[in-house]
Amino acid sequence: MTAVTSPGRWQPIEKQVWDTIITPCDCCGQVVATRLWVVEVDGQDQRFCGESCEELYRSHVVPRRRARGAP
Amino acid sequence: MSEISDHARAAVGEIDPVLLTIINNSFVNICREMGITMQRTAFSPIFNEGLDFSCVLFDRDTNMIGQAEFCPSQLAASLFIVRWTVEELGVDSFEPGDVVLHNDPYRGGAHIPEHSVIRPVFYDGELWGFVANVGHLAEIGGKAVGGFAADATEVFQEGLRIPPVKIVSGDRHNLDLWRLIMANHRTPRNTWGDLNAQIGSLRVAERRVIELLDRRGAELVTRAAGELMDYSERWMRAEIAAIPDGSYEFTDYMEDDGVIDAPVEFHVCVTIDGERMIVDWTGSAPQVRGPINATFGVTAGSVYNAVFHLTDSNIPKNSGAYRPIHIIAPPGTVVNVVYPGPSVGGNTETHPKLVDMVTGALAPVLRERVAAAEGASCCNFLFGGVHPATGEFYANYHLEGCGWGAKDYGDGNSAQILANGNCRNTPVEIFETRYPLETIEYSLIGDSGGAGRHRGGLGTRRIMRVGAGAEVTVSALFDRTKGPFRAWGLEGGLPGGYGAILVKRRGESGFRTFPEVFGTVSASKFTNVVLREGDEVLLDSPGGGGFGDPRGRDPAAVAHDVGEGFVSDEAARRDYGWEPK
Repeated sequence: MTAVTSPGRWQPIEKQVWDTIITPCDCCGQVVATRLWVVEVDGQDQRFCGESCEELYRSHVVPRRRARGAP
Repeated sequence: MSEISDHARAAVGEIDPVLLTIINNSFVNICREMGITMQRTAFSPIFNEGLDFSCVLFDRDTNMIGQAEFCPSQLAASLFIVRWTVEELGVDSFEPGDVVLHNDPYRGGAHIPEHSVIRPVFYDGELWGFVANVGHLAEIGGKAVGGFAADATEVFQEGLRIPPVKIVSGDRHNLDLWRLIMANHRTPRNTWGDLNAQIGSLRVAERRVIELLDRRGAELVTRAAGELMDYSERWMRAEIAAIPDGSYEFTDYMEDDGVIDAPVEFHVCVTIDGERMIVDWTGSAPQVRGPINATFGVTAGSVYNAVFHLTDSNIPKNSGAYRPIHIIAPPGTVVNVVYPGPSVGGNTETHPKLVDMVTGALAPVLRERVAAAEGASCCNFLFGGVHPATGEFYANYHLEGCGWGAKDYGDGNSAQILANGNCRNTPVEIFETRYPLETIEYSLIGDSGGAGRHRGGLGTRRIMRVGAGAEVTVSALFDRTKGPFRAWGLEGGLPGGYGAILVKRRGESGFRTFPEVFGTVSASKFTNVVLREGDEVLLDSPGGGGFGDPRGRDPAAVAHDVGEGFVSDEAARRDYGWEPK
């Protein structure tokens, strides 16, 4: 199980009118429209669409990645 | 009357089930009427013949509460577009009579030709919900006539990209925006007609929602919508829980991306974890240069499409049914394109393959519900030019039916638009009355269905000749035309037949590939080739895969297939071991 090293925080997405790039969730890949759920996992900030994706990331993505020998 | 399953019974909530069913049917019928309005008022065959659109109803919290049975490829797009648009613009920005338009593939859309329109529904001065639809416009500018640039390497080549903007404010059209859009489309009159059909159908749906609220009361309808979603969720969870826990993997390929002549790999792992399903596309190839990349909306839609094929079809299709299904589509891969990657073919070519892959992954544990692979190419054929009879520019997007995969309980369907489309085949008469294309042949292709205990469905052949005085610019986006990329069979069933697009120049005796005649990189994906009077184009759609050992097929069924010309005498002897009596 991955250790939680910091609580998550909501971070608004600040965009200028010329910003046309869309921000995806680091777990599911969905569009994040206005704010990101940012959590530090294993020393790196991960940006999710919400807490449910953080749970999915910890319970599924990380163990699966480790099982395949990926960092 | 359908049988009520144990899962359905267990999912029943507090409101009287009969009343709940009536309200659910009202939601669905509002969406159906929206679609029929569009079909009858749009200008383009892709609306009134092809039915390439979806209609949905949302509550004020952007939960989808009703959906009609139109185009499954837009399942997720229609689910996400409203939610993300409302989040982006802010719910307070919506006023009565507004319509927001957008076609941004990176904001939940399926691909750039599909334009969404969203209208808020106010009741007693309060926002109650939204009505919305997604429709495929036949021409949206960009490098290829018909908006399907099969060799596009950026979204900018695929057409005019529109972020969420108000095209109507307080029931007044924003004509400046209209002019901007129509200046960038090749057939602006059709854009005007088709988009107004979409927008007008929203008004019909809004009126029907208000009538429902008047009749039943807003409080009851709102509560029923919530209960219906919970009901769908419980039912879907029960369906998933009935599948054995475990992780099931599957890999498939696209033959090329239209830009580089090399196969593209897709990989899926479907995990059943009690009542939840996790569909993880990690391991799929990085985003490719050509336009077969799928948007998140396409990938999610393909998963929902597959799941709805594998679970009870009576589950009400609302946001609740989607809650137990979790999708992981890594950004920057072929299953989740990032800006500015192209994606127009993702919805037509990639979507059906992804549906088949989820089905194929679950085949070992759901053999009685799955099917072998279908043709899985929409055989997109785009054409346009100046009609010699009218002097007016025309453009059309055409898709063909394929053979579907066979099942444990029956043969695959023939000549049917794919599972992502649910659209209709365009009649020969439409081509001949609207466009300078004469149909020489439209037929089923013998031996194109994969042999099996149950045979795959047959693909179709359509040959058209360019009419007198005409010059037609054509583009194509096909797949399953070569190598080992045919529709796969299951449990010993053989693969389906190849698709093809070929050309015969005027005066020539035989058909040849487009690389042979015009030097295109891909034989199945190319853009803006000019055909002239007397030239002929041949469109073959792929057949479906077979199910089970062909030697186990009922000899009477083989004899019938031979008699009808579905299977040749030679193939019947070779694949089925058949001997005529």
